[in-house]
Amino acid sequence: MTIWPEERVPALADDGFETVDMTINVGPQHPATHGVFRMVLTVDGEKVVDCEPYIGYLHRGLEKLTENHDYRQSMGWWDRTDYLAGMACEMAYCMAVEKLGNISVPLRAEYIRVMMVELSRILSHFMFLGAFGADVGSFGTSFIYAWRERERIYDFFEEVAGDRMFPTYFRPGGVQMDLPENYQDRVRWLLGSIRQGLEDFDGLLVGNEIFVERCRGLSPVTPEQAIAWGLTGPCLRATGFKFDLRKDEPYSVYPNLTFDIPTGTSGDVFDRFMVRMAEAYQSTRIVEQCLDALSQMEGELVLNPDLPKTLRIDSGECYVRTEGTKGEYGVYALAKGGNKPYRMKLRSPSFCNLSALREMVIGTYVADAIIILGSLDIVLGEVDK
Amino acid sequence: MSKPPTPKPIDQVVKLLEQRFGKLPVTISQTATDANIDCPPGHFRAVVEELKTHRDLAFDFLRNMVGIDMLEEGLACKYQFFSYKHRHAVQVTVLTPPGNPHIPSITDLYPAANWHEREAAEMVGLVFDGHPNLKNLLLDEDVRIHPLLKAHPLQKAEILQGIEDTTPGFTF
Repeated sequence: MTIWPEERVPALADDGFETVDMTINVGPQHPATHGVFRMVLTVDGEKVVDCEPYIGYLHRGLEKLTENHDYRQSMGWWDRTDYLAGMACEMAYCMAVEKLGNISVPLRAEYIRVMMVELSRILSHFMFLGAFGADVGSFGTSFIYAWRERERIYDFFEEVAGDRMFPTYFRPGGVQMDLPENYQDRVRWLLGSIRQGLEDFDGLLVGNEIFVERCRGLSPVTPEQAIAWGLTGPCLRATGFKFDLRKDEPYSVYPNLTFDIPTGTSGDVFDRFMVRMAEAYQSTRIVEQCLDALSQMEGELVLNPDLPKTLRIDSGECYVRTEGTKGEYGVYALAKGGNKPYRMKLRSPSFCNLSALREMVIGTYVADAIIILGSLDIVLGEVDK
Repeated sequence: MSKPPTPKPIDQVVKLLEQRFGKLPVTISQTATDANIDCPPGHFRAVVEELKTHRDLAFDFLRNMVGIDMLEEGLACKYQFFSYKHRHAVQVTVLTPPGNPHIPSITDLYPAANWHEREAAEMVGLVFDGHPNLKNLLLDEDVRIHPLLKAHPLQKAEILQGIEDTTPGFTF
């Protein structure tokens, strides 16, 4: 059965029709941009010819505020950068202050920090799994699956620090207070739940042929391109390049812990998805080892007791880099005396990954551009600072 | 697969840099985390090209860039490079004289520098000669302020944009 008579089907190719490139504005209020991000696509039919990203809608002047406040006061807005994994940001900020001021951290506090950071990494990666599934077309289902585990982890964060998304739990020299009494059982139960959640995702998305066909081979990136564009984190490892700051420039107690670095092969969207999923699983291994280590040192100090009431740092300069959830989360700090830093700069992994978006989407279809943007896993709080 | 190289200690990197850049008017020092090259703007391109192309240095990754207002000394720009091949890092500091904040752009060598340079340009007012598209990135496109200059007060955005015509509301 034909719906239209043959003669009504319009001719499509080289019949002297003039075609004009069209400009489409996506965002800043658009569900597919994961926040207030705007990109202007120039399209030729369905093909993307050019893409211009516009950022800054969430710019809050983080660096200026940090320059004007006491070292400890600034804690509050550093976890508002990558708000999906606040503790990972706090860790980088605290490490920068500790580096400048030569502050030592008790071992128990280091293990608590690593445990909380890895739980944050799981939070962030679950957010990606859910949101990315929604981008590709599973609508709300994957979101709800992701939220189940996220809520459980957030409940634990609330118990530990009193707040869910912005815990402000770390301090230069340790952490604010010790973990609640029943944390061993709580976290071990959480880990089982997280692994179950990952398995569910494996069945829901990776077991879905439509999803796999949609993502495989889309926007492949070579390691050379990734390095030149400044991609870090899962986006870099998806290309098959094995580099993780937790292993390659180790910090905190990561050298004592056993875990693998998952890598992809072709750097396409599907590999980025799988690398994050495998990373979340590796994080559960790290948390387990931290729990074992913590059980050996119950009751020890969690905050350096020799710190003065006001931190004053004479001079110093450092660039501290940590493996954030999105990539290399670096903090450059310069002190010139007093209780405030002279300059603090955030090297935001989302910002750098997003700067490669233009090169990645040119030549793809409009619907694929949305998926590529989703696969970069940006968080706008961190992009805009 | 061969084992990747371990991170190199800072003093070894400093030694390596001293061998390579002994003839140029640069000073090699070290910060708490990295080796540091202080370099005048005129020699910056030559230094970066050497850092990128030389076999023993091979800095292939620009990881970060910072623009800093050094008050009477002028504006400074710091570049953090990393070599995936040798696993070592270096920081290059360029101090521009007051009133002449020009630095050659390195976007042709490191595409990753594109957004970093735009950010440094709007935040402290550095000018990167040869940048393909040096317009505001985080700030509004037609705003001509440099918020991270030390002379710039911490105040409400409305006042800065001229929307709200009152005296500054709060200071810290």
